[in-house]
Amino acid sequence: MGQAYSTIAFDASKCDGCGECMKACAGAKFESDDVRRSLIQIMPKAAAATGVAAKGAFELALCRQCGDPKCVTVCPAGALGKDGATGVIDWDASKCVDCLLCTIGCSYAGIALDEYTGRVSKCDTCDGKPACVPACPTGALRHVTTARIYNEVGGWEDLFAPGLAGCQGCNTELLMRHTLRRVGPDTVLATPPGCVPGMGSVGFNGTTGTKVPVFHPLLTNTAAMLAGVKRQYERVGRKVTAMAIAGDGGASDVGFQSLSGAAERGERILFMVVDNEGYMNTGMQRSSCTPYGAWTSTTPVGAHTRGKTQDAKNLPLIMVNHRCAYVATASTAYMEDLYAKLDKALEASEHGFAYLHVYSPCTTGWRFQSAMNIEVARKAVESNFVTLWEYTPETGLSFSRPVDRPLPVVDYLKAMGRFRHLSPEQIEHIQNKVEENLRFVQKIAEKEHG
Amino acid sequence: MSTTTIDTPNTDAARATTKAMLCEGNEAAALAVALARPDMVAVYPITPQTSLVEKLASLIAEGRMDADIVDAEGEHSVLSVLQGGALAGARTYTATCGPGLAFMFEPYLRTSGMRLPLVMTIVTRDGITPQSVWGGHQDAMTVRESGWIQMYCETVQEVLDTTVMAFKLAEHHDVMLPVNVCLDGNYLSYGASRIELPEQAEVDAFMGAKDVNWHVALDPQRPMAVDPLTGGSGGNGPETFARYRRGQCRGMQSALRVITEIHEEWGQRFGHHFAPLVEEYRLDDAEYAIMTLGSMTGAAKDAIDEARAAGEKVGLIKIKTFSPFPVAALKHALRSVRALGVVDRSVAFRWNCGPMFQETLGVLYRLGRHIPAQSFIGGLAGADLTTAIFHRVIDETRALLTRPASDEPVWLNAKD
Ligand code: SF4
Repeated sequence: MGQAYSTIAFDASKCDGCGECMKACAGAKFESDDVRRSLIQIMPKAAAATGVAAKGAFELALCRQCGDPKCVTVCPAGALGKDGATGVIDWDASKCVDCLLCTIGCSYAGIALDEYTGRVSKCDTCDGKPACVPACPTGALRHVTTARIYNEVGGWEDLFAPGLAGCQGCNTELLMRHTLRRVGPDTVLATPPGCVPGMGSVGFNGTTGTKVPVFHPLLTNTAAMLAGVKRQYERVGRKVTAMAIAGDGGASDVGFQSLSGAAERGERILFMVVDNEGYMNTGMQRSSCTPYGAWTSTTPVGAHTRGKTQDAKNLPLIMVNHRCAYVATASTAYMEDLYAKLDKALEASEHGFAYLHVYSPCTTGWRFQSAMNIEVARKAVESNFVTLWEYTPETGLSFSRPVDRPLPVVDYLKAMGRFRHLSPEQIEHIQNKVEENLRFVQKIAEKEHG
Repeated sequence: MSTTTIDTPNTDAARATTKAMLCEGNEAAALAVALARPDMVAVYPITPQTSLVEKLASLIAEGRMDADIVDAEGEHSVLSVLQGGALAGARTYTATCGPGLAFMFEPYLRTSGMRLPLVMTIVTRDGITPQSVWGGHQDAMTVRESGWIQMYCETVQEVLDTTVMAFKLAEHHDVMLPVNVCLDGNYLSYGASRIELPEQAEVDAFMGAKDVNWHVALDPQRPMAVDPLTGGSGGNGPETFARYRRGQCRGMQSALRVITEIHEEWGQRFGHHFAPLVEEYRLDDAEYAIMTLGSMTGAAKDAIDEARAAGEKVGLIKIKTFSPFPVAALKHALRSVRALGVVDRSVAFRWNCGPMFQETLGVLYRLGRHIPAQSFIGGLAGADLTTAIFHRVIDETRALLTRPASDEPVWLNAKD
């Protein structure tokens, strides 16, 4: 288990270089008004040295309180260490031998020589109340307590076996492990044909990949089977969560009737769709959730074809129209948002049908390097290709993470090999569809709230 | 030997408390289900099963039956809901026919593979295509290699009694297989007869404790992976798969004994005696015989009685249990028969004959005696199989005593 961290995040697009953060830091830490003493340093971007006052023209030198801190690794004296509770990297002056190796180890200029003291110094997030963050007039700085999730769930039991047979960097495995941690052991888990059982959730020849009862429904009947399980436990007065972790293909295509029927009847189950936009475990074929233009093995790119010719089915919006007890979209790039939605979905599944649609980039089928998974997921949201929202019949639809300045969708598309062949016209089509979809969801959100 | 000759009337002395009433086959099936106290019924209406699920709905609505009823969006989900329920410990029931059975084929195959003791009435129907909503056995015959037990009923009373017995059979530890009680669409589904309805307490005593998922469960208190992937080359995968299959076959063979035991117990408790596997009717000194299945048997028996009165040495063999095929019982029934006519209400496309005829050919081979046998196909799509038609069957079967059988089936109710 990796260690928790809390850190200060910087949004360059909001920073106009006023320097208030540096003043606040120098004041708080050293009772000095010399911004050179600040542990947070805002600097003009090297490549954009002109136009210094423009937002987006600055970069940051600051300790990230890394999860896998290289400064700690390189320090020969053991003077640096990551605090298990807060995740802050502490410097112990009494152990430091002033070799400065840590300053070389850090890629972010986060630990540096303080010329006044002749020793290194670094940000310690002011015991969880960093002075720089409230000082920033534009909101470019945020104190990010990603640590909350790690600290809360890190100790919870991982209900999947170690060593599931996922592809390298598989987002779905990440999602499965986090989700089941939250949902807990009093669960019956359905993993219909797709990547999830392919990874070994339902084992081979009598083995199992989970610590909860798990079954391999048909691709077509997951929601119905789960409904039967849940109803019988309700009948005998036992509290058992009935949950599916299903792929997009079965849910949106051949299993849709069962899904729709169960939602209409208000079956009290939690149905999570892991949307990797295709039938990925069987060799990357298209599903009705595959986006327009994408290469798949059944929508190939050749002399006569340029990937999928239809837009994706918007399954979560279709589920909204079933008036489910809860519907939400989520992304592993926004874990706190995902956890909050899991909590609500679990609660809703005790009185109605709860549906969670999670975008899950597929390193293998989407053609990108496995280390880039969360980056791809984040760009999908930042470009509004994927919108994060939630719905209940009582509160209507609302965005949980609206994007103020969306990236052009091409920034998202070019992160993946499956879109490499796109023509400018195809990219324009996708950009238009992204905007159209966004307006559509926005209208629903306004209407629901109006 | 697992054959029973039904030639004595039921005696009041042996009879448990019952209530006489008039009802249709579909209604009788629903009343039987209520007596068996399932936890969950999932339903989707389809002709000619519809009045059965309507009756179930009204029994539950009136509080005469305590079950969770799931009005699913189609037969595929009907069976899937019940599988989930059974895996959580529920006693489960549904009914279907024709296109509905075809639509549930995928979960249907799985029910027997998971050894789930579901009970499902097939209100048999012909089709699909040419379209027909009327009776015939083609639907049930089409799924005969699916690992389900199939029993066919002759009368409304037999529908009621067999349906209750089916639950006990399905849950028997030596069996653990799903059971179809087949009741002829139109003839039994809508045909009203006098029946005797057993008292609930007596049925409770007969049924004993519910025992559904001792072997396979989705329960956080006993976590297990249900239906993991098996097979493939290398390792013990194929052996594991073969062990499952052999277990299913063993369950089917055990069912022949358990069906007989349950019918005997039922007869003792309720005074209703039915042949569990094969009924031998006026067969003792018969030179030749005809074979029937389901509701056609009544008209056939009348024809046999009339032929007997005219001095013909003819008898009748009724198949009650079609799956597993009652090989030993049928061998016994055929012990002295020298010619055989087999009447099917469906076709075996590959063999140009009826399915029951085709199955019987295997028994004749195992019997080690060559008996001329003729396939008759009639009663398709709701056509009547009258006593007059059975006289034709009797006549053509008698002719086999002196001439060989035709490879072509005799099409009853057909324009040539
Ligand atoms: S205070 Fe905010 S805007 Fe000013 S330099 Fe610091 S980060 Fe940039």
